[in-house]
Amino acid sequence: MGKTKIKIDYSKCGNATGGIDPRSCGKCLFVCDPAVFVRHPAIGVKEENPYDPRCWQVTAVWLDLCTRCGKCVEVCPQKAITVSW
Amino acid sequence: MCKWCMKHGAGGKWYLNARNYSNELAESMNLRAYLEEQWRNFEQVYIRKIMGVSSIGLGYKLKMPIIGRLIRWSVERMIHSESPNRNPVRADGHFGQVIPIEEAKLIMMNLAAEPIIRNYCMCRMMQKGIKDACCINFGLLSGVIEKLPRFIPENMKTRITREEAVEALEEQNQKGRVSTVWFQPVPYINAICSCEVPQCGGLRLRMDYGLYTVYKAEYVAEVNPDLCQGCKACVARCQFGAIRFSPTLERVIIDLTKCFGCGLCRDICHYNAIRLVPRDEVPGVKGKY
Repeated sequence: MGKTKIKIDYSKCGNATGGIDPRSCGKCLFVCDPAVFVRHPAIGVKEENPYDPRCWQVTAVWLDLCTRCGKCVEVCPQKAITVSW
Repeated sequence: MCKWCMKHGAGGKWYLNARNYSNELAESMNLRAYLEEQWRNFEQVYIRKIMGVSSIGLGYKLKMPIIGRLIRWSVERMIHSESPNRNPVRADGHFGQVIPIEEAKLIMMNLAAEPIIRNYCMCRMMQKGIKDACCINFGLLSGVIEKLPRFIPENMKTRITREEAVEALEEQNQKGRVSTVWFQPVPYINAICSCEVPQCGGLRLRMDYGLYTVYKAEYVAEVNPDLCQGCKACVARCQFGAIRFSPTLERVIIDLTKCFGCGLCRDICHYNAIRLVPRDEVPGVKGKY
């Protein structure tokens, strides 16, 4: 199996760039059985203030554990996730 | 007995040594500022580049021929670091061990330093988006976490008594979660978690990548073939895939190499057919944590 790539469009997801706040959504986190995604304060954006709601985003970290089921793509209300391999 | 017991156990298991829980130890290690810095942005630990490498696609990175081995070596070194020059943005010296519920209760009643708090499990929050007040922290770390509102449970008492903590652990055990005790950083102990595969950060690195973030318990489960009725209640409880029902034998069988010794199967067994035996007494898994 080749490498899985999961791209998240931060212009749609992530408050800093005009998308929705991932802390109020989190559907991709919940639906992913192997728990590939991590929701975290972005590095470098507003690092000095972790409570700034604009600095939260979702990243696909455990890419090699992705089973390519496509549930995250389906569930994302912003259609921000693309999975390719 | 593992090497951490030899180093920090004072003749016993490392998590039963009262010294490792003491405020004096935390103060001598100057931990308050360190833990505050570490917990402020703990969710970034997988995203942040540590020595030039982040955890994104870690499995692919570890599979690279020589670089993979180098990464594995440096991560292991970081997790088990005892050096006083720790970096708070990494998880230096932060690892744990699975313990059965009776030892978790023993720690809670006798060893844990006041104040004891419960807070949202960070792993579950960052990887599943679920707020679940199951982590129990104590000692110096309590004061640190209380300043971070996102971990503080809503509509629930944060500071709890020892009895309430034991009750909470019991409840998590009923739900099927594994008790783990944590160094943070070694040798200071300040947390008992109720972990669940796959969203637990520690168990994830251990199970999926073979990094020693969580050690197996000092015990392994053993089935009494005469008492087991084959009800399969234990099979559904095992998070490690160590136990399965054998239709031929009409009882469950345990894979000792996979068993973490958490005792969840024993706690649910209606026939007292499963018991925990010390890992050291079983030659095949002796010393294999």
